[in-house]
Amino acid sequence: MLARSGFRSAILGLLLFFAAGGPVAAQDAAPEYTIKATYLYKFGPYVSWPSGAWPPAPAPLKLCIVGTDPFGDVIDRAVRGQEVDGRAFVVRRLPRLDASSGCMIAFVSGSAAQSAAEALAAVKGEPMLTITDGAQSARDRGIINFVIRDNRVRFEIDAAAAAAAGLSISSKLQSLAVPLAGGVG
Amino acid sequence: MADTPLLSRLRASLAIALAIALLLGGIGIGTYGEISYRAQKTREVGVQADIVASIVTAALQFDDRRAAQEYVGALAANPEVETAAIYDAAGTRFAAYMRSGATPPRAVPADGSRYESGMIVAVSPVLENGRRIGSVYLQAESEPFYRRISRYGLLALLVTMASLLVAVLGTSRAALARANAELGRRADALDAANRSLQAEMQERARVEERLRQAQKMEAIGQLTGGVAHDFNNILQVITGSLERLKRRPDAPRQDRDRGLTAALTAAERAAMLTQQLLAFSRQQPLMPASIDVNRLVLGLSTLLSRTLGETIRVDTRLALDLAPAAVDAAQLESALLNLAVNARDAMPQGGRLMIETANVELAAGAAPDGDVPPGHYVRIAVVDNGLGMTPEVLAKAFDPFFTTKPIGRGTGLGLSQVYGFVKQSGGHVEMASEPGRGTRVALYLPRADASDAAARDPDSVVSTPADLPHGTVLVVEDDPDVRAHSANLLRELGYDVLEAEDGAAALSILQAGPAIDLLFTDVGLPGMNGRELAERARRFRPHLKVLFTSGYAQEALVHGGRLDAGVELLAKPFTITRLADKLRDILPP
Repeated sequence: MLARSGFRSAILGLLLFFAAGGPVAAQDAAPEYTIKATYLYKFGPYVSWPSGAWPPAPAPLKLCIVGTDPFGDVIDRAVRGQEVDGRAFVVRRLPRLDASSGCMIAFVSGSAAQSAAEALAAVKGEPMLTITDGAQSARDRGIINFVIRDNRVRFEIDAAAAAAAGLSISSKLQSLAVPLAGGVG
Repeated sequence: MADTPLLSRLRASLAIALAIALLLGGIGIGTYGEISYRAQKTREVGVQADIVASIVTAALQFDDRRAAQEYVGALAANPEVETAAIYDAAGTRFAAYMRSGATPPRAVPADGSRYESGMIVAVSPVLENGRRIGSVYLQAESEPFYRRISRYGLLALLVTMASLLVAVLGTSRAALARANAELGRRADALDAANRSLQAEMQERARVEERLRQAQKMEAIGQLTGGVAHDFNNILQVITGSLERLKRRPDAPRQDRDRGLTAALTAAERAAMLTQQLLAFSRQQPLMPASIDVNRLVLGLSTLLSRTLGETIRVDTRLALDLAPAAVDAAQLESALLNLAVNARDAMPQGGRLMIETANVELAAGAAPDGDVPPGHYVRIAVVDNGLGMTPEVLAKAFDPFFTTKPIGRGTGLGLSQVYGFVKQSGGHVEMASEPGRGTRVALYLPRADASDAAARDPDSVVSTPADLPHGTVLVVEDDPDVRAHSANLLRELGYDVLEAEDGAAALSILQAGPAIDLLFTDVGLPGMNGRELAERARRFRPHLKVLFTSGYAQEALVHGGRLDAGVELLAKPFTITRLADKLRDILPP
């Protein structure tokens, strides 16, 4: 009983901690990337792709990790069971990105094989939601770019890039975005 | 209109019921409005929560508390929102807005919008892609009290005023109807009272009529002894004279004539006496007419001097130019008789009774009781020098049934008759008395117009038989002695005479056709009475002159105390002089 009650207290404490808005660093082993991992698929419902951009259902939707993978299996676990319009996600890890990659969402971090800027340039104008992490310049920045504000994971949205890619991003999502820091790319 | 009290009560309760119904209706409308308002408000708050829930999805998904806080903070613009909160999937509060004093619940309440203790609470799920990712909690004041008051106040005011109006109108209408009904009842009661008053007045008039007659009879009763005495005296003279004539048939002519004259004079006095008694006792209504008071007093004084007794001297002091009075003659006689009887009773040892007449003028306010208009009056004063009255007795003297006389001597109605008669005639009575000095009663009678004075007195012309015409008279009389006597008188006067013992015989004589100038008939005949005889005779002799004679005013001739128009009557007993006068009137030479 004591052990059990202690466990519950811990859960409760954790919940309270979250509710109070504790620092990201304290969330768990790699809380920042855990959060970012869930965000990757959570963006899906707020983005509209041009019709016919993807193979028809029930083909799964591809979520690609391009270059260095900061998530590990966190992303695999996160997307398990997640669906958009009844279609499941499948995670693909790619060394390089190009127009034929067929990714609906691509997390671009760059690697020795292909820099983030090169990868982004390769799919420019493609109906692909590109996401970068902490990009400082317009070249390195995807349509969505993760930033840290007040110790919290936030994001920028490059509306012009999205429009160029033929994507429309929900105003709900746009309203959550932080203003673009590095100018329009 | 004739509203029954039941109807008016019904109307009042109907009005009150209507007012209550109106009030209830107003309350019902208000309640319905409140309920529907709440339902609408609840829906509104639910929709608002739904909107927030749909807006806040991204903020919840991406853990953006600031954005969520902005969303709920925006609800502050709505003053009705007390509290708004967003909870995440785990039920932890994510963002909250609260007005001072309000706190959102820690745990998420059940979904849905509802009304809870004056507040509207709505909980909407935040769904993302069909999954619940959190909850929106919204608590709104249903409406500030003052707003509700202002919303329902006007309605309540209108309904209350309408109800009051209906109630007031209804009750006042009912009150009016009640008042009307009451008025109607009062009018009925008044009508009934009026009818009974009229009946009472008629009854009173009848009783007064009877009372007057009784008073007159009472006065006569008072005089009966005196009359009997006087009559005995007269009879004494007549019988004495006649006996002397019978015993001495060969007496000298001078003696015989003296005896006959004495008997005739006595008989005349007797006739006058009975005439007066008859006239006095005749029952007749009060008929004010123009009266020569002096003549009436003179006639009465001769009666009184014979009837009051020998110890009482009756004197008169009459004004020469006395104006006629407008009074009922019989009642005036009755009043004077009553006063005379009182005077006699006040003078047991004898004394003097004085009757004075005078024209007087009463100035305004001269009459002590004040209800006599000023003007010219005829005053008759009856004065005695008897016992007099104390002021106490004097004060009550005119009260009915007040009497100082021993039982059997008077009813106490005498002076009240005097008073009643004078007042009814529009006159005034003054009485002065002093113990030991006597009493003076003065009657102030209203004047009549001088024009109709004396004209109606049948006895005013005295004439002697002269220039008698000749003619034939048919005498009808059932009493053979009286018939023979009348026939002798007529022959003496120079007429030719035919005789009949009844109506039938008279008619057969008339039909036989002799020239007859006058039918002289007794009224009281066996079988056909005199009047019927005259009517039948005139059928075939329309211009036949008729003179009736009667010992009593017969109903066959007299109606309402007066002779029928065109009827000539000679009352019995009559003297030859009066017969001659009458005949000369009817059959002018």
